[in-house]
Amino acid sequence: MEDFTCPRCRTSKFQNPSLKMMVNVCGHGLCESCVELLFLKGSGSCPECRIPLRRNNFRVQLFEDPAVEKEVDIRKRVLRDFNKKEDDFESLLDFNNYLEKVETIIYNLTNNIDIIDTNKKIEQYKKDNKEQIQKSKNKLGREEYELEEMLEMEKQIEQARKQEIQQEEIEAKKKKIREKEALLDELMFSNANAQNILETFAQQAKEAQVEKAKAPPKSSHFSTGIKIGGTSHNPFMVPIDEGPLYQYKSVTIQTNGPEPPNDEEIVSKGFINHVRSETEQERAGGFKSNIACKRALQDALLGLYHTRTSFA
Amino acid sequence: MFPTSTQAKHWMYSSEEELNELREKTNLKHIQVYGRNVNDSNKYEYYLTPEEEKIMLKHYELRLRDFCKRFQPPMPRCVIGTSFHYFKRFYIHNSVMNYHPKEVMVTCIYLACKVEEFNVTIQQFVANIKGDREKATDIILNNELLLMEQLNFHLCIHNPFRPVEGLLIDIKTRSTLNDPERLRPGTEQFLERALLTDCILLYSPSQLALAAVLHAASKIHENLDSYVTDTLFGEEGRAKLMELISAVKAIRSIVKMVDNPVDKNQQKMLDKKLDRCRNPEYNPDSEIYKKRLQAMLEDDDDLYQAITSNVDEFNSSALNMSITSP
Repeated sequence: MEDFTCPRCRTSKFQNPSLKMMVNVCGHGLCESCVELLFLKGSGSCPECRIPLRRNNFRVQLFEDPAVEKEVDIRKRVLRDFNKKEDDFESLLDFNNYLEKVETIIYNLTNNIDIIDTNKKIEQYKKDNKEQIQKSKNKLGREEYELEEMLEMEKQIEQARKQEIQQEEIEAKKKKIREKEALLDELMFSNANAQNILETFAQQAKEAQVEKAKAPPKSSHFSTGIKIGGTSHNPFMVPIDEGPLYQYKSVTIQTNGPEPPNDEEIVSKGFINHVRSETEQERAGGFKSNIACKRALQDALLGLYHTRTSFA
Repeated sequence: MFPTSTQAKHWMYSSEEELNELREKTNLKHIQVYGRNVNDSNKYEYYLTPEEEKIMLKHYELRLRDFCKRFQPPMPRCVIGTSFHYFKRFYIHNSVMNYHPKEVMVTCIYLACKVEEFNVTIQQFVANIKGDREKATDIILNNELLLMEQLNFHLCIHNPFRPVEGLLIDIKTRSTLNDPERLRPGTEQFLERALLTDCILLYSPSQLALAAVLHAASKIHENLDSYVTDTLFGEEGRAKLMELISAVKAIRSIVKMVDNPVDKNQQKMLDKKLDRCRNPEYNPDSEIYKKRLQAMLEDDDDLYQAITSNVDEFNSSALNMSITSP
């Protein structure tokens, strides 16, 4: 939006950093001060396309491309009437056809294709589905209302918690002062050793802290229904059916020959003495001479019992 | 692990007779598919006989070995072994008259280099080939996929070289033989000759290794019999011992029979005969092949279809040439 200029007064973002672009239903932009000036009376025509516009239809431009702005605007308007949900249709295909229809209308309006026809279509639809539109609107209203209520509740809970915390802090401060006083009293009037008294008080303070830590963690609700903290089980967690646990079965080597020596035997029976030891680089890569030795011995022994068979 | 490998499952045969039978079948099928118009009695005047195919293959196996030995940079033995396996497997189910062994041979080696992790680029590779290198590059790269397909993508080969190392370690550890390293030259020589025979398709790599080691021992007048019977097989293996002894004997006798190089005159004659009866569809010098390749490159489906429809007609008949693995 940096290089944006108002088409009427040619003010740009560079000249006036607080420049605000406004847009109306026709999709042509205008800066805020020009809107003030031109629409002093509350209505007027767009300086570019001469369409009659009302002042309170002007909005702050959110998108760089005014055409997008226009489309968003039209979409909002069209969807107010075309407010069917997937549940209102018998099959997914019907619903998709309906969505396709809505998109076509929006596209036509945005790109000025068949405006008269399209508007007629919208009117017709409005007439045909009057009842349904109203019902859906109500439904939508109810949902919104419920959400608001939930947010309100959340706010209240939040406040209550804040108060609680404050209360606790005051309490803690008071307690600290009391303890300090008690310690001073003790030091002043007791006959016991000062060192001992200090130690017992330190002990007590520590215990109190431990107790505090043991207090149950507080839980908080959110409007999304997710509960954080607390010990109760989360109702939204679906238990996962894991099935039987995986059990490792060691691989059995099909030898078809004499049993080759295992890792220990390679060392203990001295096979390892007849291969060259690995170099430093090989060891770094994890290649040890007993691996090569074992492989050679396995290859030598496996398949010795091989008998010729026919595959024909 | 050899016992669970595709090599053990799909590419081991029971006898030389079985192999020869399969090869004869391949030869017969080729002639039946492509030589319908040729009279049965004189078909071998034009086409190669199974015997002649065998001689051709023998000749090219020798050339394969020499090529590998002269290869720069020098290649490890397992690449040679693997190339031999590929070459032999390919011609069990394919006729020499369809795919020229000269071309399949280099492709086998090139593929073996890759599979055995012996890293050479195609440029490095064709630098070892005399003649038109560009053409050789094309042939190798075009045939590579075909080769893999015919091998059923069973590319992992168990060669007898590592088992030999294992046996030598075992002999050094568990037998009283004096300086077992003396066995090495004899063993290597034996295995090299073994690659030229069919025994790599008949016996497991460890059996081949054992036969090689025993052969080398007998050459230097040492006796490893007690090592084999007592140490290697022991109590549990006693029952299997007879089988192994006969296997070792058979391997040694097969390897002993390795023929001398093919007679040059005969080879020349066969080369000429092959040039005449070679299937032009797979001959890179023929017009049909060039047209087909061009069509393939241009992705011209119609033209490709038109050219290949002939082949499909043949193949859809009962005489199916493309053979899936046994």
